[in-house]
Amino acid sequence: MLQILFNGLLNGAVIALPAIAFTMLFGILKFPNFSIGAFITVGAYAAMVANTYFGWQLWLSAIFAMLITALLIWLSDQLVFKPLRSATSITLLVVSIAVAFIVESIIRLIFGGDIQGLDLELTRPIRFGGFRFTIDQLWIIGIVMLVMLLVSIILKYTQLGKAMRATSDNFDLAEVRGINTSHVIAATWLMGGLLLGLSGLLIGIDLVIEPQIGWFLTIPVFAAAILGGIGSPYGAMIGSVLVGLAEELTGAFLAPSYKVAVGFVIIAILLMFRPQGLFGLPEIKK
Amino acid sequence: MIDYLISIATYVGFYMILALALNLQWGQTGMVNFGIAGFYGLGAYTSGLLTIDAGWPWLGALLAAGVLNMLFGACVSFLSIRLRDDFLAIVTLGFAEIVRLVLLNEDWLTRGPRGLPIDVQPLSGSLDRESYGIFYLLLVFVVVGFVFFVTERLRKAPYGRVMRGIREDDLVAETLGKNVLYYRIQVFAVGAFFMGIAGALYAHYVQNISPEHFTPMLSIFIWMSVIFGGAGNNKGLLIGASLVMMIIEGTRFLGDFIKFIDAGSLSSIRIILIGVMMILVIRFRPQGIFPEERFRQP
Repeated sequence: MLQILFNGLLNGAVIALPAIAFTMLFGILKFPNFSIGAFITVGAYAAMVANTYFGWQLWLSAIFAMLITALLIWLSDQLVFKPLRSATSITLLVVSIAVAFIVESIIRLIFGGDIQGLDLELTRPIRFGGFRFTIDQLWIIGIVMLVMLLVSIILKYTQLGKAMRATSDNFDLAEVRGINTSHVIAATWLMGGLLLGLSGLLIGIDLVIEPQIGWFLTIPVFAAAILGGIGSPYGAMIGSVLVGLAEELTGAFLAPSYKVAVGFVIIAILLMFRPQGLFGLPEIKK
Repeated sequence: MIDYLISIATYVGFYMILALALNLQWGQTGMVNFGIAGFYGLGAYTSGLLTIDAGWPWLGALLAAGVLNMLFGACVSFLSIRLRDDFLAIVTLGFAEIVRLVLLNEDWLTRGPRGLPIDVQPLSGSLDRESYGIFYLLLVFVVVGFVFFVTERLRKAPYGRVMRGIREDDLVAETLGKNVLYYRIQVFAVGAFFMGIAGALYAHYVQNISPEHFTPMLSIFIWMSVIFGGAGNNKGLLIGASLVMMIIEGTRFLGDFIKFIDAGSLSSIRIILIGVMMILVIRFRPQGIFPEERFRQP
């Protein structure tokens, strides 16, 4: 039981950062961005390049991955999404899927489709009776919790965070009140990119690195964000843990390859009965 | 060479059916479907398994594939009762992924990743290989003609006006006393029916289907066809589907000119090309090559 809880928490930790990035981007730009998965992959490959080709330390590789991902996702906004700001959410969604496929294919073109890994020291799992875990896994959970705390502080207390929340809440009102919304949008993309880059590295530590790694995480990440109430970063944090636990609990009687399906079923049930998510307030439709 | 062209034309036919179905769902009614590959695969496997394991004749299996798809389509679209449009995209995409996972993992039924060989074909044995290709091409295009006829009739009928009304503003349609949910489910189910038939035709054509044939990539190609041709315009997307196939097949020959590109990189380049063109079309000509016709009051 403890093992299931721990694994669930680990699953949740892996999808928590992308879920926050996704929900923040959705809050401000109002469309589900399908390209976040591809940028997780970017982060994972950037970390791998820094770690295995340059031989950098892991923490330095993490910073490198975060910067590269933030830069590229910001570029994707400048080149693709910015000229389409007035388009409908469906159009933007289609475009974001195209971006996801382009980014993934470029990665495949450069690095090939083979499975790769980071240059990690092999660590023996630590055991307590039947309960086993590795130091790496503790690190992942610890780092994710630290970053979530940091994001909360930024959103709550800094001027930028307040501007982000205001813009997410009501774009026009924020603009009228003198918030520079284009700066806020750029900051959100960059912050999302940092989170995605870091999660790419963490996934590289936890699992393996391959071109489709981000795509497979898309559905669980969406599930976490919708579960927590889309647009709410705090909801996304709790949603991730719940999705992670659900994946692990169903793993007891379903083939592990059906993990993705769990996320989908959660989305479907939730959208039927509580479209605003567990912690969201009902959206007022005008 | 002529064999090659005939087989390409047959594939264009499959794409046209899928694109017409998507145009009904999205172009006319505004319902996003990113699960095209799922419906296509479900149709292909249903028809394949019914003919192989249950000994059904191909026509019966084809129709059964369509009907089963219709039921699934109705269920999936039922989820959209209270949904924003963009959530339907997530639900349909998830549906396609689940179909693919089931096809991969339940090998007692679907033979898993090895693929399902299908030896049942319409009129098999009575024609030689070359004329059989032409026969199948004709068969596929008869179906394309049928689907085109039905979707055009729907578009021009009062029913089509309601569909476009829902697309533009479902609240207005609701206020005018139209049962929006009912229309949505119907349209989605009919579109899914066509996709199932396309899948069944595909299964009996290639005679060996595996889950790899039904990836999200396929859905993107169909979306590209509709966006290219012009959303809402049935004639335009027939040309859109042909253009997309020309790009996909055309890039195949790139390998002959540039020696150092291997097959893997080539498929990546193809996807990049399609993706970039899709973004460019949406950016600079969002109405597509052939914009939707405007209706005049009769």
